[in-house]
Amino acid sequence: MPEPVTGHYVVLGAALFALGLVGFLTRRNLIVMFLSTEVMFQGVIVTLVAFARLHHHLEGQTFALFLLVVAAVEAALGLGLVVLLYRRKGTLDAEAWAAMNG
Amino acid sequence: LNHTVAYLLYALFALGGAGVYLSLPQARERSTRVAGLILGAAAIIGGLMLLGARVMGPSSTNVFFYVFAGLAVFTAARVATHRKPVYSAVYFVAVVVSVAALLILEEAQFLAIALIIIYAGAILVTYAFVIMLAQQAGESVVDTRAREPFVGVLIGFVAMAAIAGRIADPNRLGPLPEADSAVTRASDSGPSMGAADAESTSAGAHVVSELGLTDEGNTVRIGRSVMGPYVVVVQLAGVLLLVALIGAMALVRRRVPPGELPEERIEIGRVGKTVPPF
Repeated sequence: MPEPVTGHYVVLGAALFALGLVGFLTRRNLIVMFLSTEVMFQGVIVTLVAFARLHHHLEGQTFALFLLVVAAVEAALGLGLVVLLYRRKGTLDAEAWAAMNG
Repeated sequence: LNHTVAYLLYALFALGGAGVYLSLPQARERSTRVAGLILGAAAIIGGLMLLGARVMGPSSTNVFFYVFAGLAVFTAARVATHRKPVYSAVYFVAVVVSVAALLILEEAQFLAIALIIIYAGAILVTYAFVIMLAQQAGESVVDTRAREPFVGVLIGFVAMAAIAGRIADPNRLGPLPEADSAVTRASDSGPSMGAADAESTSAGAHVVSELGLTDEGNTVRIGRSVMGPYVVVVQLAGVLLLVALIGAMALVRRRVPPGELPEERIEIGRVGKTVPPF
């Protein structure tokens, strides 16, 4: 069966990234905002691996592997921050920290 | 013809944006939100199929790609739009599983398994713990009202349509060289390969097509790549993880001033006899 070509994967990665972006911009719950960034990571991983296959070498896959490390770090620190903010104000609302807008 | 395809693509993504906009948590009927969600996911997949049928040539008819792409898009939309954070996390597991299936289609088996272990295993457990720790009573206004839904949807879908239109319009970018995996891997790189490929073929051990190691698995090749040219990055990743570990502990620990230790210390042997455990 013929394979889908690179453009499909790139557009799919763009779609996942855009959906994560929409979630990040529109939701007010801090936890859901962080989950949306993870969805954006998924889109980036799909795109990286697609280009790795297009160019026939593994740098894209290796990069995606290190991206997983960064995602784990981001999740740990970000969720630590979420717990900290929740302890301060007792709410997960991102709008509660609107004073940081400056 | 190409312009027609591009405009049709834009129209489909506009439909998808409208669907996602309708399905965002707002003061709407449940049926409207469900209809919007289905409309959004269907329009995005329709855009993908349109790309496959008209622009990329009729060769791309892999059923599994469309199944898992549809699943990934639908569940990603659900993560972004569901009212309850716990369900968002569960749908995110579905996103990870679909993306792992797509990575297997893209011949990245090791990465697919690593994705499931790290994301669906470790990261999702962390999210589940935080959701339990920071649970709010009932449905709060935080989860039922979106913030600037129109602008957010507009930004996201304009970005998506820009990328898709760029790919769909061969006048601007030129068609992407097709990667027909089994055939072109064995042969030399085609005429469409750029300077980056010519450079990397001379670079060394991580070039798949030059090594011709088709009998070696994907995991072995990833291992050669990670432990060969990128071994310094592995150590950097270790440092990064250590810093994040220390940082996370420093962030969330409670500072108790000296001399103000809590008095209600419970002696271990007395718990359950005279002192209530909590």
